[in-house]
Amino acid sequence: MDGIRSWFDYLSSRTDLVVETLLQTLAYVVTVTVAASIVSITVGVLTRHNALAKELSLSIASVFLTIPSLALFTIFIPIVGLGFAPSFIAMFLYALLPIMRNTVAGLDSVDSSVIESAKGMGLTPNQVLFKVQLPLAWPVILAGIRVSALLTVGISAIATLVAGGGLGDFIKSGLARLPLPNSLEAIWTGVILSLVLALAIDVVLRTVGRFSNPSGVRS
Amino acid sequence: MSTTNVVDNPETLPARRNQSVSQLDLIVIPVFFVLLAILLTVVWIYSDFDGTTTSILEPDRLWTQAQEQITVALWSTVLVIVLAIPLGILVTREGAPRLKNNLVTVLGLGQALPAYGLLVLFFVAFGQGTLTVVLALAAFALLPVLRNTIVGLEQVDKSVIEAGKGMGLNGFQRLRKIELPLAVPVIMGGIRTATIINVGMATLAYLIGGGGLGITIAAGLKLNRPVTILVGALLVALIALAFDFIGGLAQRYLRPKGLS
Amino acid sequence: MNPNPQGPQLEENKVTTPKISLRNVTKTYSGVDQPAVKDLDLDIASGEILVLVGPSGCGKSTTLRLINRMIEPSSGEIIFDGENVTNSDPNELRRRMGYVIQQVGLFPHRTIAENIAVVPKSLKWPKDRIRARVDELLELTGMDPNVYRDRYPKELSGGQAQRVGVARALGAEPDVLLMDEPFGAIDPITRFNLQNEFLRLQSELKKTIVFVTHDIDEAVKMGDRIAILRDQSEIAQLDTPEAILTNPADAFVVDFLGSGAVLKTLTLRRLRDIQLVHPPEITEQTGRADAAAQLRQSDFPYAVLLDDTRRPIAWVDQKNLDSSDSLDSNSRRIPVKLQPEDTLQEALSVMLQTSAGMSAVVDGSGQYLGTCTIQSLAELLTDQPVDGASL
Repeated sequence: MDGIRSWFDYLSSRTDLVVETLLQTLAYVVTVTVAASIVSITVGVLTRHNALAKELSLSIASVFLTIPSLALFTIFIPIVGLGFAPSFIAMFLYALLPIMRNTVAGLDSVDSSVIESAKGMGLTPNQVLFKVQLPLAWPVILAGIRVSALLTVGISAIATLVAGGGLGDFIKSGLARLPLPNSLEAIWTGVILSLVLALAIDVVLRTVGRFSNPSGVRS
Repeated sequence: MSTTNVVDNPETLPARRNQSVSQLDLIVIPVFFVLLAILLTVVWIYSDFDGTTTSILEPDRLWTQAQEQITVALWSTVLVIVLAIPLGILVTREGAPRLKNNLVTVLGLGQALPAYGLLVLFFVAFGQGTLTVVLALAAFALLPVLRNTIVGLEQVDKSVIEAGKGMGLNGFQRLRKIELPLAVPVIMGGIRTATIINVGMATLAYLIGGGGLGITIAAGLKLNRPVTILVGALLVALIALAFDFIGGLAQRYLRPKGLS
Repeated sequence: MNPNPQGPQLEENKVTTPKISLRNVTKTYSGVDQPAVKDLDLDIASGEILVLVGPSGCGKSTTLRLINRMIEPSSGEIIFDGENVTNSDPNELRRRMGYVIQQVGLFPHRTIAENIAVVPKSLKWPKDRIRARVDELLELTGMDPNVYRDRYPKELSGGQAQRVGVARALGAEPDVLLMDEPFGAIDPITRFNLQNEFLRLQSELKKTIVFVTHDIDEAVKMGDRIAILRDQSEIAQLDTPEAILTNPADAFVVDFLGSGAVLKTLTLRRLRDIQLVHPPEITEQTGRADAAAQLRQSDFPYAVLLDDTRRPIAWVDQKNLDSSDSLDSNSRRIPVKLQPEDTLQEALSVMLQTSAGMSAVVDGSGQYLGTCTIQSLAELLTDQPVDGASL
């Protein structure tokens, strides 16, 4: 109980810092998820008729996920320097695969008879894509976006190691000051706020899903 | 953290895409490996090393760090396998469906857990040392193996199990002869992911005195030596790619014959 | 209601002990008020095919699965070979009963041979006996062992997979086969062939078979006896197919048989059961005028043209006789010759294919015996003592 009270004391005495780092992490999550969604969905759509291109994009995206986070965060430092840029690039590369894979899977899963009948009604290929395939694939794509967003929350803690800010700052400063007072509180702040943020993002994206999924399609 | 194979949501997607190793994976990974290796060679040969850089990038030292990194990753993978697969089997047995569903949901959210924070919390709890690192890594990498074990066992065609039951195979025989072999591809996918997570997280071990190539990267960051950072990061990436490749091969060749 | 839904067949069997008996068996699933199977008494005679048929949800599949205790009964007894097996080891029981399901459920990671060997292996048969048995069963089910032994299930078509499913169920020479809609997921033509082959197989093997289907046509074709079930696996009628079709016990059965019930009797009657008719027989040697006179004096629109060995060649009418063309070049040739063993349904379909509305019946050596006409079928149907207000 004492631990929890002292943690709340710690939080309430630093609301500005908490809000600032929370917003930094949120900024990463939003920019990374939006950028990765645009790129991944575009790639998924463009490669939908070419099995080789599709597989190749997925393989490359999955290689990024293989590279350890500290390596991917630091590998671009010689080119772009420290701070937001290398962190953004690394998280962007990580976030590609879940969305791309789900876009491909979502488009593949659209019943070919539905596409056939849409063509039969005289819809152009673009109309088929935007009016039939993407709406039907959307629940699956959104699930991929959700995974990427949650992944980004977790990984963004590393950004602090390349001076990128975010909730990882609490963990880093706590670790540096161990075992001084408030060091443990700082570490818990970083971990717990990450989970809270993840939960909040999860709720938001599920709500988005509920309202944006075509009615009649169970998500 | 790398979650190469467990990114899809079990609520919306069938798990079957976890099962197959894309042919291209086994080509693309080596291609990336070679490209990064060439980059490393070029950096190594054409960069001017000052005294500090030379001493950080001492080959013996790098070799020791690489060994530390790999050792920690492997031990933790073994620990994960020993813990997660039996647990996954347990929760998928008849009579525990509630537990399993909750577990899958929690495991999904677990992806948002900052590995960095977890590592530090384990340090606070268990102190400095290799064992702490192994435990922290295992705790984190447990998720994909547990999840894939559950998903892998769940996706086995119920009619096949039913047929086995109808032929008088008891629960243990059905598990051993039908369910586990048919879940192998998915479970292997989870183990491959766990290995990659462990190799990656072992880079952070330096933060709590666990050694590894993270030391080289951190030294480069601290002393502002971009070449050092790059060499460390490339070495780590090469190790991870090598493990992923081996994992891909295992996934491909350990899958039971007869599965499409 | 038929006062004796168990029908006559069982009375004949009364002296012999049934192979399997269900006694007062009830199955209630937890959380459900209504039992799925209520107070069921059922005797299955040795060597018969008993078909359980009924609308979906009537509990026929549950009933089948109670027999090998895939589902444990809530109350009642299961007697197998005179032994009460209600509380015996279910796995041991299942190894004594072959089990075939609609989805087949072949082990995808095992070869065909390994799939068939599952039960013999758990019974610890010696290796060479298992190998011989596997090949024997593949032969029996029409699969070349040399081709299929080492293949994996994914390389099989649906029909082939179910052949292997049947072979696997027969693996350890069980006396009993339980079949849950075994041909339900297979295309109609393949299903037709599998049904025929299975009946041929059964005529050699004489297993005791409980066969679940929702298809009354399949039930009529496959069953020695049929149990028509309604809700909670209550037996509406249990009898031979012919008795059920000609004498349905109540409105439920009439309804379930559907409007095609009378036509279905055609599948049960054979040509040898009916009186053949004899239109004028002519050969190429018969003079045209003579032939025309014979045809005019008969009631038939066609005469049958026979060759020297009395094989039927074509139907010939007045117009053919008037023209100067060769008689066997006309369009009403007789491509299909029926034999007395063929069913009336087959006769009907042959008649519908030829514009003459007649079909020639020959003996085993192809010699002409007589003719079956649409009229003779129609008379047979209207003479049928079909019970109730359904017609």
